[in-house]
Amino acid sequence: MIGTALDIMSKVTPPRAVFVDYPVGRTFGPPQNRTRNEEVLSRSLAVLPSFSSSGEIRDLHFQWEADGSRAWENELQKEMLSARGD
Amino acid sequence: MALEYLPIMAQSGAPKPPRILVSPSKPSWCSVIKPVQQSRVALLTSAALRLAGQQSFTPKEDLTYRLVPSDPNAGEIVIDHHSGIGRVPKQDPEIVFPRTALAALERKGLIGERSPFHVSFMGGLRRHAEIESELAPAIAAELQRAQVDLALLVPY
Repeated sequence: MIGTALDIMSKVTPPRAVFVDYPVGRTFGPPQNRTRNEEVLSRSLAVLPSFSSSGEIRDLHFQWEADGSRAWENELQKEMLSARGD
Repeated sequence: MALEYLPIMAQSGAPKPPRILVSPSKPSWCSVIKPVQQSRVALLTSAALRLAGQQSFTPKEDLTYRLVPSDPNAGEIVIDHHSGIGRVPKQDPEIVFPRTALAALERKGLIGERSPFHVSFMGGLRRHAEIESELAPAIAAELQRAQVDLALLVPY
């Protein structure tokens, strides 16, 4: 599994999981960035076979913003809540 | 510190009760039998996406799945999932369903080959027992028939 929601991944015991600290719904990077898509996928595939037991989650230490800003979290929350009741 | 999604989902999903997260009742571990460079790889997505010409997913509790050709040029991808995060991935489904990136890794020899198809289903379902007893075995059988060595789930 390649996931962005660490709290959810931690509760469902995936057999092999990597965590990508990007906004949910952007697992492989920003739109139209094929280089980033490929980097996330290739790094994930490289690490997944090395797992030895179920439930382990490895952080690939990707950052959405180069400076480590987490301003995206507020925007994402607004986006998710705007669909409230959908 | 990673963003906590469960409280946001509970708020956005109200007045429905918060989701109950369920781990598989059976062991889900199996050993890797081949190096990735020799493996046939498939993507699994819970985005309820499909080719534009395939039957649409019905909202919410749809337990069907679609086999989506792994060729990135096979056609336009449509995302039927009802999640509030859909605006951006609907502009570029490759950010949740990296068909093009997987094809590139195949060309570079970083995977053995792509499965002829990837598998898509609806995430966020609450019918846990049927997912485990019906949907998951049906998908597993498709992957076995296609001789897939490695299935990579990308939750939506």
